Amino acid sequence: MAAPAPRTRAPSFALPSTTGGSLGLDDLVAGGPALLIFASEECPTCALALRRLAAIVAPLQAAGVGLAVVFEDPLDVAARVARDARFKGTVLAEPAPYDTSRAYGLESLPTTILLDRDAAVAGTVVGWDAEALSALVGEACAAVGAPAPAITSERPRKKPGCAAKSTYDDEMLALIDRAGAADEMEDMFERGWTDGLPVVPPTRSRVDAMLAGRDPHESLGEVPPGTGEATLERVAACAVLAGCRPEYFPVVLAAVEAALDPAFNVGGQAVTTQPAGQLVIVSGPVAAAIGVHSGMGVLGPGFRANLTIGRALRLVVTLTGGGAPGRLDRSTLGHPGKLGFCIAENEDGSPWEPLHVERGFARDDSVVTVVGCDAPLSISDHRATTPAELAEILGWAGAATWSPNWWPLGGTSVYVVCPEHQAMFGAAGWSKQRLREAMFDAVRKPARELRRGETTPQVHAAAPDDVITKWDRPDDIVLLAAGGEAGRYSAVLGPCLGMNSQMVSLEVAWST
Amino acid sequence: MEYVSPFDERRREPEPLAPRRHALQGARVALLDITKRRGDEFLDRIEERLREHGAETFRVAKEIFSKPAEPELIRRIANRGDLAVEGLAD
Repeated sequence: MAAPAPRTRAPSFALPSTTGGSLGLDDLVAGGPALLIFASEECPTCALALRRLAAIVAPLQAAGVGLAVVFEDPLDVAARVARDARFKGTVLAEPAPYDTSRAYGLESLPTTILLDRDAAVAGTVVGWDAEALSALVGEACAAVGAPAPAITSERPRKKPGCAAKSTYDDEMLALIDRAGAADEMEDMFERGWTDGLPVVPPTRSRVDAMLAGRDPHESLGEVPPGTGEATLERVAACAVLAGCRPEYFPVVLAAVEAALDPAFNVGGQAVTTQPAGQLVIVSGPVAAAIGVHSGMGVLGPGFRANLTIGRALRLVVTLTGGGAPGRLDRSTLGHPGKLGFCIAENEDGSPWEPLHVERGFARDDSVVTVVGCDAPLSISDHRATTPAELAEILGWAGAATWSPNWWPLGGTSVYVVCPEHQAMFGAAGWSKQRLREAMFDAVRKPARELRRGETTPQVHAAAPDDVITKWDRPDDIVLLAAGGEAGRYSAVLGPCLGMNSQMVSLEVAWST
Repeated sequence: MEYVSPFDERRREPEPLAPRRHALQGARVALLDITKRRGDEFLDRIEERLREHGAETFRVAKEIFSKPAEPELIRRIANRGDLAVEGLAD
């Protein structure tokens, strides 16, 4: 199609904008003349033009001159390239088949078109041509009586661009589509779609397989701290990136939904200087059905469902929610579990009722529980001969968590109790509750011994000989039965404090 | 290759900043305690210094430091104050 003749009305369009919604020709010239720039991701001259024009976006906006760039790319690519160029003007996307580009008769990119306030074409500049663009900007500003901002005089002053994608034939377009990025894995890092480890590229077909017919636009809510919206499509993209199989997705969805419960305060956990991550505990039949591991080496590495389900939740928090480490995530040290932290209980081999049953669900319900917690601290005990002795040892290991003199803890301690330790309690008929109470009773000190460094207001307020316990109540001790059959190693996971964060359980929408 | 982005690509327009005020004399200054320990001690001292410079002060507090300030609290600060000082961290 030929380019529109000068002084004739430019072709209409309505294209999706990176700020949401769509923007049309009349919107663009609503306030006066406007510059419309066509560009593409692959074109180096376009990148140069956008970087250089970024400096005049604000003065043009202040003068009332509209400015928009139309990318011959999908919206997310357009947003990324504009962000990389620090271009803060309006960004629109026109993926294949490039009807708007064709209507404007584009041959190469970048092409900058000056539209007057009646949306007629008042001038066109092809490629990077600083002099011609200065004249175009000057004309636009003169029309509104504003001084024209200067375009940089940096070299090169002129640079030809690339062919517009609208000029490609179908065979060429198919080739580009198949080729993808030069190195797809590196491309993921360049996009920032990672937690530091390689990811699985979230192609449309993989994401669709994850969604399995669910409405991609359904929302689970805003994800703090940066408040991106967790649409099912974005959660599915995170699950693909994390390496999940589609059958894990119901558990991922339940974990994300549980984490977004305000009572969990994932926003506070995401930004704190504490190391805390989000532990996902999968209970009920779904755990075995999809292979969430509860046995040897349960805290990892080695088990795909555990690692990838936990990782998917973390990617929702860090990518969709914007809680990326070193940015909004201000954790001083972090811990490896922040990559992904997910376990199941050994429900059939344990002498105890599983966590979800303790929390009011039926044994056959499939449930996800999320809890904010610190890295595991291993507790070796191969010598205790009575349950009371072992309870005391487990309890005292928890005494040092958070800070050795911070009593009472004011939060939850999650214990992973290994099968040989479970067996000692089971043989003596000890329930989880009895063990909790024994641990709670065992760990106490007079206030005077706790008055060093970081101590609680309760310790300060107490008389020197008043007895202080490590926990406010036995129920602050959460017991999980998991781990390998040999070796007497249990573990305690420190808390995430100051968040007013509750453990949240949610049933998984799942059936066999 | 078409990929599905994990990011919410909608770009939010930044909120314009309120006009800056350059003199403290007669300014109404909100002192926001985020309820982290010892933040009140810091704000006590700041309050003293601000009053020496002729500012009026009023104290407000968040319910908990680890959650964003409630919209009602932000409104109260905006309605009553010209400036705000937030006492962060321990």
